[in-house]
Amino acid sequence: MIPHDILTLYSAKMLEYGIAVLFLLLFIPFWRYVQGPAKAPALAPARSRVPAVRAAEWFLTPADRLFHRGHAWLKGGDGGLVTVGLDDFAAKLVGPMSRLALPAVGATVGQGEPGWRLTAPDGRSVDMLSPVDGTVVQLNPALAASPDLAERDPYGDGWLMKVRPSRLRANKVNLMADRAVRRWMEDAAAALRGHVAPGLGALAQDGGVPVAGMARAIDPDGWDRLAATLLLTAEEAPDA
Amino acid sequence: MSEHPSVPALTGREWAKSKLFLDMSFGDYLKSLVTPGNFVVGLILAVGLPVIAYRFAYGLGASTNLSQTTPWGIWIGFDMLAGVALAAGGYTLASSVYIFGLEKYHPVVRPAVLTGLLGYMFAALGLAADLGRPWNLPVPFFLSWGGPSVMFEIAWCVGLYLTVLSMEFLPPVFEWLDWPRARMWAVRMTIGLTVFGVMLSTLHQSSLGALFLMAPTKLHPLWYSPFIPAYFFISSIAAGLSMVIVESALSHRAFQSRTDHRVDLDGIALGLARGASIVLFAYFFVKLQGVADGGRWALLTTGYGYWFQVEMFGFILLPSLLFAYGARHNRVTLVRWTAAWTVLGVVVNRLNVSIIAMNWNAPERYIPSWMEVVVSITLVTLGVTAFRWIVNRMPVLRELPEYRDSASH
Repeated sequence: MIPHDILTLYSAKMLEYGIAVLFLLLFIPFWRYVQGPAKAPALAPARSRVPAVRAAEWFLTPADRLFHRGHAWLKGGDGGLVTVGLDDFAAKLVGPMSRLALPAVGATVGQGEPGWRLTAPDGRSVDMLSPVDGTVVQLNPALAASPDLAERDPYGDGWLMKVRPSRLRANKVNLMADRAVRRWMEDAAAALRGHVAPGLGALAQDGGVPVAGMARAIDPDGWDRLAATLLLTAEEAPDA
Repeated sequence: MSEHPSVPALTGREWAKSKLFLDMSFGDYLKSLVTPGNFVVGLILAVGLPVIAYRFAYGLGASTNLSQTTPWGIWIGFDMLAGVALAAGGYTLASSVYIFGLEKYHPVVRPAVLTGLLGYMFAALGLAADLGRPWNLPVPFFLSWGGPSVMFEIAWCVGLYLTVLSMEFLPPVFEWLDWPRARMWAVRMTIGLTVFGVMLSTLHQSSLGALFLMAPTKLHPLWYSPFIPAYFFISSIAAGLSMVIVESALSHRAFQSRTDHRVDLDGIALGLARGASIVLFAYFFVKLQGVADGGRWALLTTGYGYWFQVEMFGFILLPSLLFAYGARHNRVTLVRWTAAWTVLGVVVNRLNVSIIAMNWNAPERYIPSWMEVVVSITLVTLGVTAFRWIVNRMPVLRELPEYRDSASH
């Protein structure tokens, strides 16, 4: 007698559906396993044995930031506000700071205009350009107690301020991301090397790591002028 | 932004020295060629090229073990089917970077496209050797279209895709020649070429499998399946990704002086391994579906069945799991060996379909003649030599600084 129930008639089909369902059920944990544990956006991808992918030359440039030529970064965030900070290059260039003169809450800042001032223990200071147009809505409270946080952790706890941008779309045209950042940072490093040994080109790259306060190490007397030149806030930017 | 190189007027001799002889005098260049590796290459070519000439002079009967029962041998199974599958890195990487915007993989696109181009070129040469009347190769293009034939589609697709790959590789050629304007035009075509390339690859990677739909009685039931076009297409993605992992590791080791050392090759390999792992995982279940669909379970415990299981578990599921483990735990060396294993697995699969499980119940077995083997080895050697020649001269593994700021390819 031939059984007529649908499951027997279509046993091959049932098996195929079974395999499809099994695949889908296994695929979810497999996918999660392959993708690895959920990570917070890291400063630099941790997968590489040489964490060099974002470390253009000597300086870290996290992938989730936009950069301005004046060595400040910008990150979009909650409630239409953007977080602003200085980049690794500026941090290493200026080194430990005794004071950070940030604009007051409520003040307006303009992209490409002086936004804040870094003061070193020797009393000399250097201005930096704001990467964005907008109104300052919050300053990093941790910096008041320890201004050198901005140097030690420029992309993390050392952020400077939160700004409500007024024309972010237009501002973004002048900001860099991804590969452009790497190239620009390499050029900045090359310009720095030019100051280390003018005329000798790329000699200073033989394996060293930049010291904190590179500008001072290069030119103890005129470091603030050098820093201002590289951070694009020198009065008369001499051609490097 | 970018400064294109001004083109100083070079004399013919200077041009040859800088472009062809790696800035050496001709005598020095010849001396630099005397290496153990080149000796082996020379030896292979010294035997292989006369054998190729012999095949074209005296025909297939004199040089191969092909017959009416087995008209396709290793020139189709290895050079054509496996070669085309392993050349799939070109379209997988180009589409990942230019269509899906995965910029991380940009540094390996050029070597992948070059590998694809050379792979197809030498697959086409293998095909020319295999065709009884190779001078009829232009017929499906110009004289008699034969639209309903799978062969017609493959001929057109492979022909067009070879053209597309050649055009995709033009930017580094123009950079090498210092032709910035021509390069600019070539770069502008990139996205169109990539889209066209993906379409063509989808079509012919699967059609190569569809060829075997015509041989349901000849191909062993475990390998024969109505899904075989899908098998070929899916496995080509895994083959392409694995080939890029292997090839980039080897070429960055072999051509250190030609390489951009800032490239995070480990990160790229791990990322590609993730993709390959997922693709192989899905491929395993699609193959399993084929066994269920045909009701072939009983055959799994026969001799061919055990070999089929080796392919299923050893060359598909195992590398999938190893890739997954390696990618999750950052084991780059494991990932690279797994990629090599996967490449081998895809070659085994193509040989299974076209040769080993083909005519499985016929009394006559095909064993390739020594000349067929020599021709295949010669073609691979020519491919590797061409790759070396190009990478040593053109910006493939690195970007030229003067072109870095412009829209790159």
